[in-house]
Amino acid sequence: MAYTPYSWQQTLQQKADYVEDRLRQGSPVVGISCEEGILLLTVRRTQRKIFEVYDKLAFSGLGQQSDLESVRQVLVDFTHSEGFQRSTEDVSIQRVVGLAISPVLKRAFSDPSRIPLVLRGIFAQVEDSPSDDLFYTLNFDGEFMLLHEHAIIAGTEGARLQIEKMLTELKNPSVDDAFKAALFAWAAGRWYIKHSQENENKPSSEADQKKILAEELENTNVEAALLERHTHRERKFHLLSKEEMARYMPKL
Amino acid sequence: MPEKLERSAADFWDLLQKNNVPFLNKESLSQSPSAPAHVTEPLGVHGTTVIAVKFRDGVLNVADRRATASNYIMYEEAEKILSLDDETLIAIAGSYAAASEAVRFLRHSFKYYARSQMQEMSLEGKLSEVSRVLRQSVPGAMQGVGGFIPIVSAYDAKKKEGRIFFYDILGARFESREFGSAGSGSERIRGSFEYIVRTKGLFREMKLEEALRESLLLLDIAASLDTATGGLSSALPIVRTVTSDGVIDIPEKELEKIRKELTRER
Repeated sequence: MAYTPYSWQQTLQQKADYVEDRLRQGSPVVGISCEEGILLLTVRRTQRKIFEVYDKLAFSGLGQQSDLESVRQVLVDFTHSEGFQRSTEDVSIQRVVGLAISPVLKRAFSDPSRIPLVLRGIFAQVEDSPSDDLFYTLNFDGEFMLLHEHAIIAGTEGARLQIEKMLTELKNPSVDDAFKAALFAWAAGRWYIKHSQENENKPSSEADQKKILAEELENTNVEAALLERHTHRERKFHLLSKEEMARYMPKL
Repeated sequence: MPEKLERSAADFWDLLQKNNVPFLNKESLSQSPSAPAHVTEPLGVHGTTVIAVKFRDGVLNVADRRATASNYIMYEEAEKILSLDDETLIAIAGSYAAASEAVRFLRHSFKYYARSQMQEMSLEGKLSEVSRVLRQSVPGAMQGVGGFIPIVSAYDAKKKEGRIFFYDILGARFESREFGSAGSGSERIRGSFEYIVRTKGLFREMKLEEALRESLLLLDIAASLDTATGGLSSALPIVRTVTSDGVIDIPEKELEKIRKELTRER
């Protein structure tokens, strides 16, 4: 009888494959820093996907809704406990991601007896000027990355790169331009996930993006939120209403 | 740092207890060896006049900035009108230390609820939280430390009007139709509010400029009759409004202009 020793590498690979498989069809989330603040945009069916975490912090993600919800609750608990014990200024995106949530995801992923969380997250913190705005992306294995100007999470790396290409030329946009750019970038990522194999990984054209937007928006809704830079309100998070989004929506 | 993902706290009180964060611990207050059995004079910083009046678009809050301990003037720039969130103001009279801590708690509590439950706490819920905090402060108040009386001003988005609520030291809540005041100087000017309503009209029908002028005059009168209240000749008072646009500070330039007019008229 052959003896197969336990391979932790194989276990981790299997876990990663399990999660990647479930994230593949997830709706991308695009975050863009603009003059008015930070815009986060995605398209979803019924459940909210963009959340307020603290005064200047927002969170969004793709993956299993229950895992997103668990992470959201941890974030809210951590930020409010820290904010009360110290001050609101001491609650920063770097502490939230690096200290509060990344180790938890890492432990869940590495522990062979636990099921990994199926999620990929994006965090945003608005500051006084667009150049100081911060983004973090967080992977299911606890790996996180600091970004500026814009950030993307998508179901696959290929889709993320397609969205990235759409945003590299975007500099100092207004919220209007940021909304349109984010929406078409989302469409490019979505198109890539749906059609990349039959089209040999070619990028989508504007016509393709409009077509997929028209198809997707028959059964889903755009969700967008702005972390407002210039408001006098303490809570910077503002979920855009349908009327507000209608002003920015391009003609499809 | 969270060890794992688990059920979140039921509310902000629960969260603080889970994380062993002390707040208004009545046991520690009563067991404190330094707490005197009877206190004839309140400890800490006290003394004030805070005023809340409705105006056409919401509620105006005015407060002096003097903080006293017994007959000493400890500080002349205390902030006694604080925002609990973007729709609610609280004006505090009494123990500044206890009030500041309570306000800090309430601010986080309201925001925690809105973010964890993904719906705003109702006005009724907020008012009940204030009552709860006051009840927690009762042991301290009975010992002569830690008692305070708030006036809560809120913009009610459903009724589209400003509303004023005042409390007693045990947390009982009362709504006022037009105005409210608290602090050592408030009794001196209580009748003056009614005089203004009867002779000049309802506060809630006044424009902001008019309501502001009347309120600053009332504050100055309170200061002339109460040593614990700072008047217009010392630091400019704190003035904030709460309307459908949220909480807004009245600029110092505007206050300075009215101060010059009122002090000229004396």
